[in-house]
Amino acid sequence: MSAGRTWTARARVAVPLPAVGAAPTAGKRRLGRNALTALLFLVPALVVFGVFSWWPILRGLLISFQETNLVDPATWVGLANFRALFADPLLGTAIGNTLLFVGLALLIGFPAPLVLAVVLATVRRGAGVYRFLVYLPVVVPPVVAILLWKWFYDPGHGLFNGLLGLVGLGPYPWLDSPGTAMVSLVLQSTWAGMGGAVLIYLAAIVGVPSELYEAAQMDGASIWTRVWHITLPQLRPVIGLLLLMQLISTMQVFTEPYVFTGGGPENATLTVLLLIFRYAFQDGAYGQAAALSFLLAIVLGLLSAVYLRATRSWSAS
Amino acid sequence: MKLTAGLLGCALLAPALAGCGSPTSGEPEAVVIRVQGMPPATDKPGLDQFRKMVAEFERSNPGIKVQGSTTVFDPLTFSAKLAGGRVEDVIKVPLTEPQGLIARRQVQPLTKELSGWAHYKEFNPQVLRPLSDTAGEVYGVPQAPFAQGLVYNRDLFAKAGLDPDRPPKTWDEVRAAAKAISAKTGKAGFVHESKNNQGGWQLTMLAYTHGGEIQREEGGRHVAAFNSDPVKKALGLLKEMRWTDDSMGDAQLNDQNDVIKRFAAGEIGMYMGTPGTYRLAKMTYGMEDTDAFGIGPLPQAGGNATLTGGDVYLVPKSAPADKVAAAVKWLLFAYAEPQYDPAAAASRAKELAADPKSAVGVPTLPMFDAGQQAKIDEAVLPYVNVKLEHFRPWLEGTPSLTLRPEPAVQAQQVYAVLDTVVQAVLTNRAASVDDLLAKAETDVNAKLAAARQ
Repeated sequence: MSAGRTWTARARVAVPLPAVGAAPTAGKRRLGRNALTALLFLVPALVVFGVFSWWPILRGLLISFQETNLVDPATWVGLANFRALFADPLLGTAIGNTLLFVGLALLIGFPAPLVLAVVLATVRRGAGVYRFLVYLPVVVPPVVAILLWKWFYDPGHGLFNGLLGLVGLGPYPWLDSPGTAMVSLVLQSTWAGMGGAVLIYLAAIVGVPSELYEAAQMDGASIWTRVWHITLPQLRPVIGLLLLMQLISTMQVFTEPYVFTGGGPENATLTVLLLIFRYAFQDGAYGQAAALSFLLAIVLGLLSAVYLRATRSWSAS
Repeated sequence: MKLTAGLLGCALLAPALAGCGSPTSGEPEAVVIRVQGMPPATDKPGLDQFRKMVAEFERSNPGIKVQGSTTVFDPLTFSAKLAGGRVEDVIKVPLTEPQGLIARRQVQPLTKELSGWAHYKEFNPQVLRPLSDTAGEVYGVPQAPFAQGLVYNRDLFAKAGLDPDRPPKTWDEVRAAAKAISAKTGKAGFVHESKNNQGGWQLTMLAYTHGGEIQREEGGRHVAAFNSDPVKKALGLLKEMRWTDDSMGDAQLNDQNDVIKRFAAGEIGMYMGTPGTYRLAKMTYGMEDTDAFGIGPLPQAGGNATLTGGDVYLVPKSAPADKVAAAVKWLLFAYAEPQYDPAAAASRAKELAADPKSAVGVPTLPMFDAGQQAKIDEAVLPYVNVKLEHFRPWLEGTPSLTLRPEPAVQAQQVYAVLDTVVQAVLTNRAASVDDLLAKAETDVNAKLAAARQ
């Protein structure tokens, strides 16, 4: 679940779909038949959503108020799981770490694809090759990429310390130090997820009317002025959308800390999702895991609501 | 379309008709048990033998059908499979897990079924203890019981000017050997695991060897007992090796897989592990120079103790009574009898030894008494294809140590807290052992106080 992969996947949501079955002039009978047909077409999707999304969500919500071993009938425990959750000193650590990841990803991971897209948009020769190279990491399976980077980060024989050693820097502990572990995770995550966002930006840049640039050029505007006063304002809606999508996906960061560090060193990379995982799969505290998932879902729900509002107002403008 | 309709009809009517195409009435229905522990296709000798074993078992138990599964216990999928009623009727679990599963009542007590076996009373009680609850109910059968020891690379020992036939017996000797290995070969002299709860698990064994405890009982409840001098000494040793001697290599966030992988590649001098890790190094991580694998007893510093290890077979709570009875029959046939009956042991060893890729004769702890184990050892001797003399220090040194089980209550949660202590010692030069243990004690006591005991 690399952050960037989710960005691109979610980007499809923003594409307006053609209206299906819209026939305002048709008679009532026709409308009834159309509605029935539409419903039939909807059934498979409804079943799939129901079985694989809504039912598990409901079940998770119920489990957050229960104690269960998944075999015997569950017992209702009221808010005990939530109380246990708030009594766990690791909850604060996990929330802090998740916010740190979100913040660092915003700082490092957010501007990077934008800058790269602007640069790539100006490249005329071999543009396809560069785009391919930028997108390539998205194609690499996340765990494979992380294992590769684990070797890059190895403090003794790793690629990074080897390269930095050539110019007299390091060695740095990377994943082995609470101070640098999270930054290391964000660097990898940015590398892995950037491709999707770059493509979206590139597509948006292509959509900027070329007359604007031509007029600016005639007025003697430099490249930087053109980027600042034309490209960026024109990209504003896309930038806003990608920002929200990144926030939503980075709050759910799991694969990177799970595979790279297991949450260490000293819980420096223990994120909310990893804590949920530990509750459920290491401690067998399913109720507590469900309770924390529920709380996370509320936060993500709020962010998604903002996202939907923003999509609507931006596509209207 | 017709086919779909047919299948649909079959699916809908199945509960009523007890399955389409099932045998007609009159014939008693066979009990089908799904069992974990089938070796993967990459372990051809093991898989062939497993299939033969199943055929033989089904011949002598006509009412039971066995379906093997290459799946092993995975905490990620176990819960979901259990909730969905899809978990196998026999699960293969590392010895770190049974106590948690027993506490959550996700596995069944088997004492009643097991005690029907003629030799049940002869089981080595030390081997059954980690599979039992406090009331003495037994929940499974071990496959190959081990005691933790010190695995070492004999080649690196030789290169460092150490005697490969005399592994370190004390932690002072380990420290000296690690220093020599890293100084002379540039490899990590000794590696201690630190993540995915395995840091806490290894600290537990290290604590036992120093005479320390992880938990103790106080007024009927378990509390943290690791904020003590022996554990401080144990962590002090790690600190010295890591920061003063620089003999523990560079990358410190390792779990058992990381360590065995690196050991198989000749990158590590010593680690705490069982003889069973030989199989992992050879068959999973492709260790080529298996002659370099050596193992001695767990080194000591006043504790004279070690921790048990290995894999065990349990029956999930979801299995119905008829399957439980069949599962226990299978477990006794497949895993207990070959460790009791010399003829069965010899015939299995012979089959396995036909393939050079197998590992036959990796020593284990006696599953019954020492006399019975001697008979088994003698029977399989002609087929042994591991360098038995390289396991001899472990075999000779382990019997004098006390075998201790894992912490009784919430071991995994306790290990998770201790992971951070180990990580701090290994990654932060300025870490204070006293402060770390004091904080961990508070955290663990909070968890134990909240736990059902």
